[in-house]
Order: sequence, then structure tokens, then C-alpha cells
Amino acid sequence: MKLEENKYFKAVVKNAWPYTVGAVLLALLNITLFIANGSPWGVTTPFVYWAAWIHETLVGPVRDWVYFNNPTHLKALDLTFFTHGGSLMNLGIIIGALFTSLAASQFKIRKIKSFRQVIAAIVGGLLMGYGTRIAFGCNIGAFFSGVASFSLHGWVYTIFIFAGAWIGSKLLVKFFM
Amino acid sequence: MAEYRLDCLGEACPVPLLKTQKKFAGLNVGDVLIVEIDHSCAMKNVPEWARKEGHNVEIEETGDGEWEIYIEKAK
Repeated sequence: MKLEENKYFKAVVKNAWPYTVGAVLLALLNITLFIANGSPWGVTTPFVYWAAWIHETLVGPVRDWVYFNNPTHLKALDLTFFTHGGSLMNLGIIIGALFTSLAASQFKIRKIKSFRQVIAAIVGGLLMGYGTRIAFGCNIGAFFSGVASFSLHGWVYTIFIFAGAWIGSKLLVKFFM
Repeated sequence: MAEYRLDCLGEACPVPLLKTQKKFAGLNVGDVLIVEIDHSCAMKNVPEWARKEGHNVEIEETGDGEWEIYIEKAK
């Protein structure tokens, strides 16, 4: 029997795992991370540090910016990509995703279909980046970790993410259909 | 009993599903729509929608990270 026809290979490597399995694993991993690291999972704050490290190297100090009044952010300025856990975890997400898609023989570099997609990706990326800073995180840091930490900001975020998704879907239909 | 193709390669979710729904509305009973996708989440939401609507669905893996979804209009 070929490996691709083995039912365990299919269930674990080839097909998407059920949502409940993913949810339980994410919860357990986030608890583990919280115990080990002292703070729950987040994705977007490392992006700020990457930009700040580049800015400090090439342009000048950012230490006097209001954002870096926060002691955690200030301390992170003295770290590097390879000494900062959050940055390494983001790298891990990419490596992990690459590995799973390769293992399932589903890796593909997708073609860019239209110039519209490029514009939408750039505009969308900038809006998301800006949004994560004023909302103190993304789906992970603000919603998943925020709600799990019993922080009110996680719930406020949840309400507004629905409003944002509704507007976003209207724009999507308008420009891509 | 016509057969139509819908090229959704390079389209991210939920565009393949929206395009499928739009195209499918104009088909007659017995017609087959073949949707070409390369976004794995479309492999979940397009068949889910079609089965819920009561149509016959088959998925074929045509290459690495590429699939064809066959949907036969049942009603």
C-alpha cells in the first residue's frame, strides 16, 4: 500500500485537522508558553521590535518614542532576533507551516493573479499593522490570549473585529467579484 | 448536461467560494461545474457549501497544492 493511501497518514499529515483538535492544542500550548515565558502568545509585537531594531541601526534612536515608555518594549530594544523569544516563535510558525505543507505535498508558490491583489495586500497589510498597534495585538495577542487572560480588551477587540470583517467583506465583493 | 470550468487558481478565500456561488446560480440542473483551486481552505468551504445545498461533489487532487472540485447541480 502506498503511503498516501494509509489512513493514519491521511488523517494526520494530509488532511486538515478538526477545529476542536486545533483549539485544544492551541490552548495547551498557550498555557505552556505562559508558564515558561510569563506572557501569553502574541505575533505582531515582534514586528514592531524588528522595525525598531532596523531603525536604531540605520536611522537613529527610538527610545524616546511614547511607545517605548513601556518597560517591556524598552527592554526588547536591547535584544536581537535570535535572543527574543517572540521573534523566534514567528520564525517557527513559518518553518512549521512550510514543513506541514511539504509533508502533505501541498506546497505551491501561487501566482499573483492581478495587480489588484498586490494593492489589496499592501493596503491590507498596512491597515492590519496599524490596527494591531492601537488594539494591542492581533487575532492571537488581543483575541486569543486577551480573552483567555480575562482581559476586557480582548472582548472589545472581538466586537470590533466583527465590524471590521463585515466592512472588509463588502470591500472584497466590490473589488474582487 | 453542459460542463463549465471556473479558474480560481491564485485566488485566496473567500473569493473562490463567492465566484463559485455566482457562477453556479446560472447553471441548469444536471450541469457540472469544475472549480480549479490552489488555496487549501477553498477545498473545505466550497464543497461544504455545495453539499449543504444538496449538490453532488467530488474533489480531485490534480497536483501539488492544486485541486479540482466537481459539482453537479442536483436541483
